[in-house]
Amino acid sequence: MAARPRLGVFKLASCDGCQLTLLDLEDELLAIAAAVDIVHFPEASSDMDPHGRFDLTLVEGSVSTPAQLDELRAIRAQSRTLVAIGACATAGGVQALRNFADHREYVRAVYATPAYIETLAQVTPIAAHVRVDFELRGCPIDKGQLLELISATLVGRRPDIADESVCMACKRAGQVCVTVAHGQPCLGPVTHAGCGALCPRFSRGCFGCYGPRERANTEALADHMQAEGVSAASLVRRFRLFTGWSEAFRAESERHDD
Amino acid sequence: MSARLTHDGFRRLLEQVREAGYALVGPTISDGAIVYGPIAGADDLPIGWTDEQAPGRYRLRERGDRAHFGYVLGPQGPRRQLTPPVETLVRIRLGPRREQGPRTPEGVEAADEDGEPLALIGLRACELAAMAVQDAVWTGGPFVDPRYARRRERALIIAVDCLEPGELCFCVSTNTGPGVEAGASFDLRLTELGEEFLVEVGSERGQALIDGLGELAEPSTAQLFAARTQGVLAAAMELHGRERQLDLDGLPELLFANLDHPRWDELAARCLSCGSCTLVCPTCFCHRVEERAPLDAPTSERVRHWDSCFTDEHSRIHGAQFRPQIRERYRQWMTHKLGAWVSQFGTSGCVGCGRCIAWCPVGIDITEEVAAIRAAPVAPDDAEPVALPPATTVPALAGDPMHPQLARVVSVREELREVVTLAVEPVGVFSHAPGQFNMLGLPDVGEVPISISGQAGGELLHTIRAVGAASRALVALEAGDRLTLRGPFGSAWPLAELRGHNVVVIAGGLGLAPLRGALREMVAHPERYPSVRLLYGARSPEELLFADEILSWDRSIRFAPTTAPAVLESGHVKVHVTVDGAAPGWTGHVGVVTKLMRRKPLSAHARYLVCGPEIMIRFVLRELETIGVAQDQVWLSMERNMKCAVGMCGRCQYGPHFICKDGPVFRWDAIAGLLGREGF
Repeated sequence: MAARPRLGVFKLASCDGCQLTLLDLEDELLAIAAAVDIVHFPEASSDMDPHGRFDLTLVEGSVSTPAQLDELRAIRAQSRTLVAIGACATAGGVQALRNFADHREYVRAVYATPAYIETLAQVTPIAAHVRVDFELRGCPIDKGQLLELISATLVGRRPDIADESVCMACKRAGQVCVTVAHGQPCLGPVTHAGCGALCPRFSRGCFGCYGPRERANTEALADHMQAEGVSAASLVRRFRLFTGWSEAFRAESERHDD
Repeated sequence: MSARLTHDGFRRLLEQVREAGYALVGPTISDGAIVYGPIAGADDLPIGWTDEQAPGRYRLRERGDRAHFGYVLGPQGPRRQLTPPVETLVRIRLGPRREQGPRTPEGVEAADEDGEPLALIGLRACELAAMAVQDAVWTGGPFVDPRYARRRERALIIAVDCLEPGELCFCVSTNTGPGVEAGASFDLRLTELGEEFLVEVGSERGQALIDGLGELAEPSTAQLFAARTQGVLAAAMELHGRERQLDLDGLPELLFANLDHPRWDELAARCLSCGSCTLVCPTCFCHRVEERAPLDAPTSERVRHWDSCFTDEHSRIHGAQFRPQIRERYRQWMTHKLGAWVSQFGTSGCVGCGRCIAWCPVGIDITEEVAAIRAAPVAPDDAEPVALPPATTVPALAGDPMHPQLARVVSVREELREVVTLAVEPVGVFSHAPGQFNMLGLPDVGEVPISISGQAGGELLHTIRAVGAASRALVALEAGDRLTLRGPFGSAWPLAELRGHNVVVIAGGLGLAPLRGALREMVAHPERYPSVRLLYGARSPEELLFADEILSWDRSIRFAPTTAPAVLESGHVKVHVTVDGAAPGWTGHVGVVTKLMRRKPLSAHARYLVCGPEIMIRFVLRELETIGVAQDQVWLSMERNMKCAVGMCGRCQYGPHFICKDGPVFRWDAIAGLLGREGF
């Protein structure tokens, strides 16, 4: 049998939740292990080999420190197909909220000995530094999409992961619109699908953890929310969450932030 | 025949329907709305509830009575049941995993599972009208979707008159309500009048149900009839008196004459492009077709799921996105729904239900948008008007157009770098006309449209460039491999019409492939085609497709090398080749094909066939216009995002045309108003 493609899973600044999604693929893990050689996956095994070439590399987390930046460049150099997984790797994650403030103040406030802390002024998604072949969105990522990503990469096609609104998922699922029927603010129309409309299915508006979809008309949505009584401060908070550092959401939150 | 039913009689009626083996589908309260879905019986109906609707707003309210159908419409109708949001079309048995590339197919099985027939309860007049529209889409021919056809044919329909139209209804504008007409497609029609129902029987099935009720179904009375007539009339009068109307008169022409109206930009500022309107619309039908091939599964599934012209993927093909802007997407939706639909299906796509208004998260009102354009149409400019052809009817073809056959690759010929010609042997007799295309596919990567570049005996030739995942996988196939094949699809070059005329064929790059079959035919029959000229442009001498063959057609070219000596005798073919650039040593023409057109005097009376990149086609047409060639002497081949190839997935629409079914070969005048326009 030919050598299986080599899979590497790496993390930068992140909570490990997206890596866990790979382990959550319980029914499919054996098939995945048969199809790829899992060479490096710290969340799963201490038997690791971060060196050599990877055919498929999954990178979780954002770049927060100079060391992570070096590490990311080394990972890229070793990888054939590099996929950013999760809100941190694709948009900076919740830690990128520090970009809206002075990180030195945060360091002083949080750490007893700030001198030991070496950190970058801004937290950034990995595409800000290296070429990324595909971005898998979500906080955390969806295991169905992860499986599709792996399957597609193995045969050399683009994953069937549509860049479309959460509304599409709601409507396919027959989920009643929480905005129209309940007056709830919802970021679904401007947010990338993939979660299976998880929050609306529990009667809660989408809070955008998959980040903006293409052509996200955040301005029209925010204007409408404001007309419905959502305050400017609340709009800032809504757009400034897990994917608040993405271009579209950042611009929108800044529009309402005086 | 008609009858009157009490609430008890109605309850018993639904029990009977269930006992007869139908799955009951009806309105029921869920998630704070009246949704249309599976119900167990009359108790699940929203008895005593109604809905209040406004643009972008929907609320439930208690009525204070026991009305069973005292609401108007929920977010989605029976479209969900008749064309499920996600549906498996076929299952494909897979060969073993290979070191490189996707697995090849070993067998194809139909996936349609006959569940219980549906009893669709409580359908309003607008929903029956929407079903008639969907019938035209899925079964109106030439291709029939057997899944839809079967569900529709087996469904029992219990319709309900609307006596209390909702705030957003405008069915009197579209002539689709509020009363259910006697001739409409229903088994039973209910009119809810106070504490009882007047029941009109519309079929034998319906009659049997009423008969089965025995004493519970009493004879109807003249009083009830009068009450119904009055109720429907009052509802219609009320609707007529409203401000919200949709004037359908001349609407397709109005919209297509206003493609550059400033209103589209205003709309784009408000529209979220979320797609909600299209997925609550009871007539929208766009879908995607994708492969689901799990890692270790022995079969893959070809699945279709609801899509929308508001998504990016809808109008994207490898390397091109035809509707990147929100204004173009909304314009596509509205010009299709209210305009192109009439050309395609002989009816407007709007039934006046108001769902797209209620369920738009920002409350965009399609009737207001139309009224705004109607109130201030833009002045006609010099742009060519878009031709809207009348709808035509075509006899239906048998079989499932989505069910592929397994064809075998007989040989692979490398034509150019990353371009091969697959000779494919289909199963059974296969006849096509040059210009048509097939859908070729592999289970892991899906299908792509590939023109038929010739036929040799029983083998079909397909010339493919490796550009996307699917074409790359096809190009990598080897002799003996199998692939899925559907076809032939689309229109052909008008060979019969060209007889006796001088013909000029203008091709660019791989655009020669769809023309080769027609050229071969003309080369072989000098008596029918006395003079044929081929003007062919490629990037470089190394990129000249079928070089040996095309040079062999022209006996004046001395270095014509290898094939077909019989053809060499004919002498009625002239071949002119140009390249964009070449290394020293090339003695032929250099420059784009339009430059070549200027060097070789062309007749205003000849017939022209054109194929190549769209930008090349447009420049060629401009050149032809200059020399005075009439539009009805020119045919060209177009490309868009084709997924189903049979006019059902909606993706390849080009103004009023489906490229897959009305094209890919069009006469110039049919699409002159669309060429070069952004967003189509």
